[in-house]
Order: sequence, then C-alpha cells, then structure tokens
Amino acid sequence: MKAALMLADGKVFPAQALGEGEVIGEVILNTAVVGYQEMITDPANAGKILVLTYPLIGNYGVAPKFMESKKAWVAGLVMKEESRIYSNWQAKQSLGDFLKEQDVLGASAVDTRTLAVHLRQKGEMPGIISTKTQDPKELLAKLDNFKKDTAASRLTAISLSKPLHLGKKEAKKRIAILDLGITQGIIKQLENLGLAISILPYNTSAAEVLQQKNDGLIISNGPEEDPGLKEVAENIRPLLGRLPILGIVTGHQVLAKALGAKVVRLKIGHRGVNYPTHNPASFKGEITVQNHGYTVETDSLRKIKHLKITAFNLNDRTVEEIESKKLKILGSQYNPVCPGFSEVNNLFKRFLKML
Amino acid sequence: MPRRRDIKKVLMIGSGPIVIGQACEFDYSGSQACKALKEEGYFTILVNSNPATIMTDPGLADVTYIEPLNVEMVTRIIAKERPDAILPTLGGQTGLNLAFFLMKQGVLKKYGVESIGASVEAISCAEDRELFKKAMQEIGVDVPKSGIATNLEEGMKIGLGIGFPLILRPAYCLGGSGGAIAYNKEELEKFLSKGLETSPVHQVLIEQSVLGWKEIEFEVMRDCADNVIMITSMENVDPMGVHTGDSIVVAPAQTLTTEEYNNFVNLSKRIIRRVGITGGGANIQFGQNPQDGRIVIIEVNPRLSRSSALASKATGFPIARVATKLAVGLTLPEVMNQITGKTTSFFEPTVDYCVFKICRFTFEKFPHAERVLNTSMKAVGEAMSIGRNFKEALQKGIRSTEISRFGFGADGKDKISDEMLQKPENGLLKTVRDKLRTPNDERLFYLRYALKLGIPLDEIYELSHIDRWFLDNMQQLIETEEELKKYRTHNEEVKVPIALMQKAKADGFSDWQLAYLLNSKEEKVAEFRKKNNLKPGYKLVDTCAGEFHAKQPYYYSTYETTDEARPSKNKKVVILGGGPNRIGQGIEFDYCCCHAAYALKEEGVDSIMVNCNPETVSTDYDTSDRLYFEPLTLEDIMHIIEVEKPMGVIVQFGGQTPINLAVSLRKCGVNLLGTSADSIDIAEDRKRFKHMLDKLGLLQPENGTAFNFNEAKEVAKKIGYPVLVRPSYVLGGRAMEIVYEENTLERFIKEAAEVSGEHPVLIDKFLEDAIEVDVDLIGDGETFIIGGIMEHIEEAGIHSGDSAMSLPTFTLSQDLLKKVREATLKMAKELNTVGLMNVQYAIKDDKVYVLEVNPRASRTVPFVSKVIGVPLAKLATKVMLGKKLKDLKFTEEIIPKHTAVKESVFPFNRFPGVDVILGPEMKSTGEVMGIDADFGRAFIKAEIAAGQNLPKRGNVFISVRDKDKRAIVFIAKKLVDLGFRLFATQGTAAAMEKNGIDVKVLPKINEGRPNILDLMKDGKIQLVINTPSGRIPRQDEVKIRSQVILYNIPYTTTISGAQATVGGIEALVKKELGVKSLQEYHKMKSRIKSPKSKKSGKHKA
Repeated sequence: MKAALMLADGKVFPAQALGEGEVIGEVILNTAVVGYQEMITDPANAGKILVLTYPLIGNYGVAPKFMESKKAWVAGLVMKEESRIYSNWQAKQSLGDFLKEQDVLGASAVDTRTLAVHLRQKGEMPGIISTKTQDPKELLAKLDNFKKDTAASRLTAISLSKPLHLGKKEAKKRIAILDLGITQGIIKQLENLGLAISILPYNTSAAEVLQQKNDGLIISNGPEEDPGLKEVAENIRPLLGRLPILGIVTGHQVLAKALGAKVVRLKIGHRGVNYPTHNPASFKGEITVQNHGYTVETDSLRKIKHLKITAFNLNDRTVEEIESKKLKILGSQYNPVCPGFSEVNNLFKRFLKML
Repeated sequence: MPRRRDIKKVLMIGSGPIVIGQACEFDYSGSQACKALKEEGYFTILVNSNPATIMTDPGLADVTYIEPLNVEMVTRIIAKERPDAILPTLGGQTGLNLAFFLMKQGVLKKYGVESIGASVEAISCAEDRELFKKAMQEIGVDVPKSGIATNLEEGMKIGLGIGFPLILRPAYCLGGSGGAIAYNKEELEKFLSKGLETSPVHQVLIEQSVLGWKEIEFEVMRDCADNVIMITSMENVDPMGVHTGDSIVVAPAQTLTTEEYNNFVNLSKRIIRRVGITGGGANIQFGQNPQDGRIVIIEVNPRLSRSSALASKATGFPIARVATKLAVGLTLPEVMNQITGKTTSFFEPTVDYCVFKICRFTFEKFPHAERVLNTSMKAVGEAMSIGRNFKEALQKGIRSTEISRFGFGADGKDKISDEMLQKPENGLLKTVRDKLRTPNDERLFYLRYALKLGIPLDEIYELSHIDRWFLDNMQQLIETEEELKKYRTHNEEVKVPIALMQKAKADGFSDWQLAYLLNSKEEKVAEFRKKNNLKPGYKLVDTCAGEFHAKQPYYYSTYETTDEARPSKNKKVVILGGGPNRIGQGIEFDYCCCHAAYALKEEGVDSIMVNCNPETVSTDYDTSDRLYFEPLTLEDIMHIIEVEKPMGVIVQFGGQTPINLAVSLRKCGVNLLGTSADSIDIAEDRKRFKHMLDKLGLLQPENGTAFNFNEAKEVAKKIGYPVLVRPSYVLGGRAMEIVYEENTLERFIKEAAEVSGEHPVLIDKFLEDAIEVDVDLIGDGETFIIGGIMEHIEEAGIHSGDSAMSLPTFTLSQDLLKKVREATLKMAKELNTVGLMNVQYAIKDDKVYVLEVNPRASRTVPFVSKVIGVPLAKLATKVMLGKKLKDLKFTEEIIPKHTAVKESVFPFNRFPGVDVILGPEMKSTGEVMGIDADFGRAFIKAEIAAGQNLPKRGNVFISVRDKDKRAIVFIAKKLVDLGFRLFATQGTAAAMEKNGIDVKVLPKINEGRPNILDLMKDGKIQLVINTPSGRIPRQDEVKIRSQVILYNIPYTTTISGAQATVGGIEALVKKELGVKSLQEYHKMKSRIKSPKSKKSGKHKA
C-alpha cells in the first residue's frame, strides 16, 4: 500500500506502507547500522517517527530477548528497504510482523538519504505518515493541529506505577532507579554489578526516595520535552547532596534542571552510536551511543558551584558529562550502554565508587 | 598529545612488486603515509622496488630509493641515511616482515632506529602463531583448536589429534600463500611439508576447520592515549574456507544483531589492546558459527592491509593517513577528518549505503590450474561498488570487474542459457550443485543458475553456506528479471511500466541487461529512460550518513529522488581509470591516471576521476577534485559526463579499458583529449595500420587475418611457420600463441573463436630469436620526443609485459637505434600523437619490424619516467590541454648515464603445478626495477628485487634444448670461472664436456636417484637454467620447473636470461651492491635539507 511521509515544512516523501493508518510525531534520525529493535522499544523514543539512515533494515529479524522495554514506543518507522527475509539464529520474527503486532506504522522505500540531508539543513520537525490520504493540504492541516496540541505527559504510561525490586536481595549496595523510561540494557548492567535494585515510579517524591534507604539514585533515560519532567526535577531538587545521584540522558537533563541549569534544543539531535566524547583534561575520550535532541547549556552549568564538566562532545562541544565530587552527582548526556558481553559501562563503575 | 619531536627522519618500506595478495593498496597506504609525514614536518626516506608506484615519485618522500627489499640493501640505506624511526605498518606483509627481520638481526638497535606504529612485541604477538594463541586465550577470546608444527612428524600428530578437516597456515606468509585445507591424512602430509617449506620461519599452524562459518572482519584503530575506534565491520559473503582476499565482501556486516555487533566490538578492543598497537590500525578476522553465534578469532593484521584499504574506501575514512599520524604520537581527537572538515578522526564512520567488493581472477591465464578457491589467495585484483541496497551494489560490482558482464546475469552472456535452465539435462543439476559446494571463481553465477533452476534457498544454503539473506537478495533480482521479461516486444520497442523500470534501475540493472531482457537495444532503453526522466542521481560517501555537510566527499550513483552531485563551474576534465587490477593491466595505469589529476590541478582545471578499484591511489579522496566510484562502462560513464559536462575526457591513461570505450564515447559526442579516436582506430585496426606502415615505408612481420581454420591455414602457409596467432582486440596477450604447425593452428582457431566472437583471428609471422624493443614517446602534435628506448632481455615472442628490459639499451648499435627512432617519430607524426604513444619492435638481421603501436600510456611509462627523471604522464596531460612540449621544456630525448632494468614478477607459486615457462601470453602480475651504474648490477638488483636470490657461489643445474647447446657453453664456462659447480642432464653435459667444462651428470628423473629433484629438495642447487625442449614440454622438465617455485630456487628459462644472470652474478661477485636514491641519480635538490639525526655521531658499530 502506498503511504506518504510529510514533514511540517511541507516536504513530502512517497513511501510503501508497512501496516495501515496514520501517525504524527517528531521526526528523528538515527545513523546506527544496527539496533532497530532496541530503538523501537526504547521508551525515550515514545511517539516519535524514527528514520533509520542505514538503508537495509530487518535483516536480522526481531527476538524477544532484544526488547528494551515491554513494547514498541515509536509511532512510526521510516526506512529505505525492509528485508523480505530475516537471517540470524536468534531471530523469532520478521520486523514487518513485529511492527504490525506492536501497532507501529512503517514506511519503506523512502529516500532516507534525502530526508536526512533535508532534516540536517532544516532541523528536526514534526511529520506525519499516512496511508489514508496523500493530499498535501490535508496532511499539512493535521500537522498544524499536532503542533498546536500541548501533548499530555507520556510518563504515566511509560513508568511503573508501583516500585519493583530486582537484583540481589542481600547486596552490599542498594540502588534506586527513577523510571522515566528505563531500558533493559541498563537494568542488566546494574544486575551484573551485583546490586539490589528498586525501580521507582517517575513521580516518587524525595521523601519516599530517602525513606527507602538507598545508597544511590539513578534517574533514567526517557522521553525528552515531556511536560511531566518538570515535576521530576522539582521532586529531586531536595535530594541533591543528600544521596549520590546519577542522571542518564534525559535523567541527566532533569538533574541539571534541578541544579538550576538550562536545557536547550539542538538543531539536529545526536542520535547514533558514533559520538565522540572527550575529557578536557586529557587526550582520552570515548565513542558513545546517543539519542537526544536537547542539551544542557554549558554556561548555565559553569555557574553552578562544585560542579565540573568532565566530558564534551568532540563534534560540537556540547556537554556530555557532569560531575560533582562534593554533591556526589554524576550526569551523562550519552547513553551508558553495555560494552558487549556482560560487561558494565564505566559510568556505572564510577558511580558505584561514589556510593 | 602533540606529535613527537624526538624523531626527525622516518624510514618507510614499501611493499615491492604487485603480487597476488599484495597489490596497489600499499601504494595507496604508502603514499598517504608519505603525505601525512610531510604534513607533520618529518623528513622521509622511502624504499620500494616497484617503480610503478605513486609513492616512489620523487617529491612524495624526501629521499626515494628504488632498491631491492631485503635486509642487506635496507641496512645499507639505514647506514647511509640514519633515520630515527622506521614505519613498518604501511608496506604490507613485505614491509612488516622486512622490518621484523631488521629488528631480529639487530640492525635497528645498531643504528638506533625505533619502530613506530607497531612495536616488535606487537608484530610478534600478531604474527607468531603460538604467541598469538596464548595472548588471545589470556583475554578470553576463543581460537580454533590448533597446534603449531615445526616439522612433519609433529604436524601429523597435532593434525590427527584435532581431526579433519584441517586448515594449514604457514607463519609469516602473505595472502595465505601455502595455506590449504586437508580432508585426510594424505593431504595433511602433502600440505604440511609444503607449508613448512613456504614459511620463512618453517612454522605451520594446524587448525580446526571452521568451514562454512560466517567470516566477519573489523577494522580497528588505536592511539597512544588508548582511544579506540571501529572503522567498519565487513561480512564475507563467501563463508570461512575462502581466503578473504578471494571472497565477495560487503560492508557493513548485514546479518549481525546489535548484541553480536557489540560483542565483536568488545573483542576487537580487547584484541588491539592486548596485541599492543599504540598508534595505528589493525584488521581483525573472526569466524562465527551461524547456528549458535559462537565466535572464534582467526587472525589479526597489525598493519594496513587490503581489507583496511577497502574499509577506507568504503567509509571515506583515510585509515593510512590517520594511522601514520597516530604512529608519530598524535591522538585521534587531534587529527581532523578531511572528508567532513568539521569532525575529528575520533569518530566512527557510519554509512547509508551498501558496499560490495568482488574479486578479479585470472584462471584463464593458467589453464592447467585447478579452478577452486581456498585459503590461499588467487585473485589478482578487486573492484568495489556502492549502492543503496545490496542488489544494486552487487550488479554494479559485477559490471566493475571487467569480465564483459553487465550485471548478475541476464545479459546474454550466461554460460548456461535460460533455455538450458528451463529444461535441465541430466548432469546440469549435479554440475550446479558441485559448483555451489566447492568454492570457485564462477560461484556467483552458479548461484544464479541454482536459483533459476528452482533449487530451494535452504538447499543452496546447505551447499554453499552463503547466508540466506544474500541468497534472497539474488532471488529478488531473478524475480525482477522474470517480471521484466513479460514486457518483451518483437520490434525492439521498450514498453515497460515506469515503476518497474524504476525498480529495475534501483536494483542495479544496466541498460544492457534491460535491452537483453526486453529484446531491445541498449540505446533504446536509454532513450526510454530519458524520455521518462529516469536517470541516476549521485549520493555521497561522507563518513557520517549525511549528519554533517561534507567538504570533500566522493560519489556513487543510484536511482532515487535527488542528486547531490556538485558539478563546479570551472573547466574540468574526466579521467577514466583502469578498473580492477588484472594481469596485463595493473598499477602502472593507475599511476598515470593520478599524474593526470596532478597535472590538471597544476593547470587549474578540475579533475574528475572515474574508477572502481578500491586499492588505488586514484580512488583516494584527495587525488582528484571529484571522484566517482563507478563501474567503467559506457552507460555509467555517460551518466557522469551528462552531469559534469566536462571539456573533455582522457582515455589514454587507464589502459585498455577506456581505450576500448574510445570509439563509443566519440559516437556519443564526447570530446576525447589527446590523440584522436580516429588515430586510435588506425592503431587498433589491422588493415588501416598496415596501410599506414606501407605508406611510411616501415616493415611489419608478414601477416594476415582469418575468420576460420581454412583461411588461417592458407595465411600460415603463405607466410610460413612459425606464426603468432591471436584474436583481435586483446588485453595482455590473452589467448595468444606461437604456432609451429597446422594441428596446433586448428586447435587454436577453435578456442580463439570463443574468445572474441565475430572478431577475426590475427596471424603474424613469428620472428624467431629477434630482439624486442619497446619505445615510449610523447607528442604535442608538432613536437615528438622519445621518452625511452628499452631493449628486452628475453627474445621476441615472450610477452613484453613478462620480459625484463633495460633502459638504455645494452646491445643495439647506434645505427639500429637510429632506425628505431626514425620509425617511431614517423608514426607519431602520422598518427598526430597528442599525449603518449608506445611502439613495440622486433629486430632481426638488422631489420626493424613494427609489432604494434599503442596510442596510449603503456605499462612502461612509470618505469621510463623514473629512469629519465621526467614525469611523462604529467607532461602528456598538459599537452592534451593544449600546452606545447617547448613550453614544458621537454625537447630532447634523455639517455640516462645510469642503467635501469625492469623485471617482471610471476604468480606461479599460487598455481601449484603450473609450468613456469614464458610465452606470448602475459602471466606476470607486477614489476620491479633495478638501477645502478651498469647493466650487470642493475640486472642483478632487479632479479633480487623480483625474489630471485641469485647466488654468489654454489651449484648450478643446467638443462637446455639442442638449439641452445652452443650458446650455453660460454655461460657455463663463466659460471665455472666464478667458482660454481655444474650439474647437467646427459645431453647438455655432453656438449659442455666436449668444450672441456667440468660437469656432473645427473640421471633422468625416473632413471635413478639422487636426481635433480632430490638435490633441489635438499637445498643443494642454487640456480637452475632450463630452456624448454619443445612446444610441448616433457613431463620431467615441468616437474623440475614447478619444483623450482616450490623451493624458491632462482631460475631462468631463456638463454638471453641466462646470459644476463651470469653477467649479474659476475658483477655481484666483483663488488658489493651499493644504494643510491632517485634524487641523487637525477641530481634533484631535496625538498628540505636532511636534518641531523638525533643520534648522529653516536654510531654504535
């Protein structure tokens, strides 16, 4: 079936539909070659129309073990070519079937290179995929309505409603995760560290957090630009300096807000697996996985006492990492994913030392 | 960290001649390294024996030596130049091994030279099988079960312990030479003894076979601050069991999950850290069990490799340049990414296209070689293609290999026709299945036949172990093919739904294929497309999948919605490259194309390069102003010309590939720069050529043409045997033969007719024992200057690409030289040569015969340029733009005071059992140059550089045909005078004894022991002189000659070669060989004065 992808600036891309219907969302690009299933099921991408710049998608299928959360969160998936077959010993299902099952509208046969270059030049913007109409006027009207709409928070849907305890019961350290959209990849790493883990609903108050006698708190990744995040920042402000806190990606932005820093939008998000970060005090850096459209303003961070910027993005000099030895705070704009096998990202090891 | 200031002079070792397993990629990496070192202000010293390289152009390095690559010669260079450091990682396995031996023998220590880029420990860890295995186990990386044998007995024990099948890998061997797969005890024994011989350290790894597993490669880089990046992953379409240099490879890997990918990255990091690379790159090869994901490491190359060249071209990331900068102490974040101009090299490239690499084989040159692929590399070249999907990349890739195919079959050239596939006869299915099971150079096309025959995907997978994902993509192409066929018409009209045509083009179908499928003509398909506005757009290789605006990207075509090409408004010229390396067309032509680009830059004209060979300097991002990574077919080239609208196209430099397109391009209205298409046609067309010679009063061996055997018989009878027969329009003397009688002629005509369709067979009188001469000339339409006259060492009849040759000539009289000059100038004037021209002559009985004229750059252009110190290809480009030789100050032939000899290098060691004799069919893959004050020393340097370790003393075995028995006496005498002991077969011995030469007679091979084979095996023979007895060589001769290859004994198969060899040995015995740089020969001023070595005066010797 034919579909159309229209961007808010009126640019239309013809497509082949995978599924049927209509979705509207912020259009984001990801330049990674592998990882479609993880991206689709990452709650941080909730409601987005995800464009994959790598043209051949679905090659290795889909398997339950690679779910980052219980379901798919993206509204739409845009790609150049969906593989007709999948070929990997772990695969259980084709991407096409998975999208159908998860109610994600796919658009293939799109000139994703042209789309990517267009977004690079114009900036990220909302878009619509529709199989219902291809009339530009109609599509544009729908997009206008979407932009006017002040979206409700998705956090209630994404986050747990009750605390959940995982990991070892009798561990040396107990850690709490404020769930703004925690992913399995992060939980597995913490489990591998031998921690006792409590996953808390996003709106858990400071008092409740403290009551639980955790050794540290992690504010997870989740959707950016969510109206619910304001409340989270308010909630954690009283915790600053009271227990070690690690903020990751969106959690890092929330943490920075709570510290009084400003969060600003990037023209085009950092979304991929090849972002270099760099420690200004050394020649050493890391190649990191990123997925964010906002960043914490450098100058606003510099005004905060006892806080240091410990890593910058080497491409555009935006802030990648903050640390306060005094307040026992650590924040990373990049996503501290597992570095292969059952190993644990260095960031968590550093955080562990703070506890 | 800033670059190191404690080193000032860096020595680089090149990779020597082009051989199977080591091609132009090391010219690409070496020249990038030279440039990078220069950028950082280092004084560079380069040694390489291959004159056809860009890196040996004076100016790239500060001091350039064209000398043999062995410990002795390089030690002399070190003693003379006193470098502070040696960079061993950019000259392939040759460079790495040589550096390693220099370390082992204490040369580096003695002269205080530090190895940068890879330490001795790192090299040992990666190359020494035992150390490597231990290191890998230490960091938890699985290795296949294996053991190391240093003798046969040990090896048998290990092998039987692991169980069959087994993989055998000799240590320190490039391109897996000597590697084999053993399925049983007998084979184990056979391959083991061969491997032990091949390995320079007599070590063979015997390994559990992981045949059929996925083969995955990663390119990794690491700097001294421990920053590590992955350049790209690559997946071999051909699974484990086929050498990666012979495999079809895609980048990035297509069938790995995120988790698997991350695990590979994790392992790669562990490995590069453990091996201890602290400023450079490595290629890591893994095997992965497709059933359970288990990973084993196969090998690590702690240096730039063929794969890293591919990874570099596939992603746009200049690995060699960056590796060099890391070697001198810079870190990745300090090195800018020149493609984006914005980001640094601390960044992992990501792609938004599919890259396909396909190999070019050369089995047609070695008809007796077994046509199978295994762990010993056989490919002579490769092509890379880029598409937005696998299907497009696959079809473009096949088009790029220059095997006269236009895509994945469906081009009217399939060996097994559609009709045969529809009603398969008994046996066909079996043939197809066999071809899938045993890897071979034609397997890709047999996959197509199998799919067309309806063999299920799963069965094809079981037979070939090629991943189903690739197979399904091929299946899709076949489905599109079938769909297209429904629209066949009877009047050549193209009537296809636009959407289907769009899909077919997006999947890489060429107009040629479409014409075949639609029963139409290529032009009509093109016309239909144009009418419907279906044309390709160009997308970028930009390292970042479009995330950043790219400053210096390169381009590939695809059929999508937009065109990102950025044609400039400047004057511009398109240079057509030579495509993949093959025998007959190699690096020499790439050298010329690069020079064309440099010349255009000097003249302020934009250069637009079209080529598809990822190994080359011409496909480097900064060689030309714009690079199009595209197949060299008329359709693909015309699309580029339509977008760029250049003032002209240069076809003279890319070898036969662009020359063959000249007439068609002209027909399309393209302006060819330089010598006109008409002149090209005169030179290529026998009748017109003959007419021209007659007009000019020049001689040609008597000749004629024939379309069938009867005609041929008549012609041969008229001109008299022996005759040289060949099909018209040939490359590298393919299917050329010297025929002495009618029977052979009949057989040849049958085979030749297959080779070139409706083209006639050409018959020339063969001039026996004539001297062959090669002349290169440059002309501007008014002035014509000879670049060099080269005298061949082997007699006429041996392909000029295989002959050794000397510049200046060494036996020709002034009178003959005058005749040659006059003839050359006459023809140049007649053809109104603008640019380069090459003529081949045969001289017999003081008569000069014209053999052929090539109105293009020849194989010898780089050699001549380096010997006379004038960049001919560069001048030729300027001349084509309208400059005059007078303005360029090249108005007189330069006859050098020194002598240089060009020698050819052969791939016989890759084709066990193949006879090594030379003939009109070209067989060499590369060349070396020896340069010195006189012929003898230049010759011996060339021989040493070509791998012939000519002895100063020892035993010589001589066996010659009757005709040569007189000539051999003089040679034998000289050898005895030089202190050699002679062995000979009965007949030859008798001739010598008659002349009072002391010789020991050996029994014939099957008549007694020890015979010559035994002596060779025991290392008792240091030189073999063996001229073939007749047209059909005797079996024992072939045995002797193939054993020579096995034991790497210097040999010669011609009397002229033997004479030169003995002369060389004499020179060698008299005085040690010295070294002298090109800059010294040509009295050039060094770019900067050589800085004082930090340790000067502290010579420890």
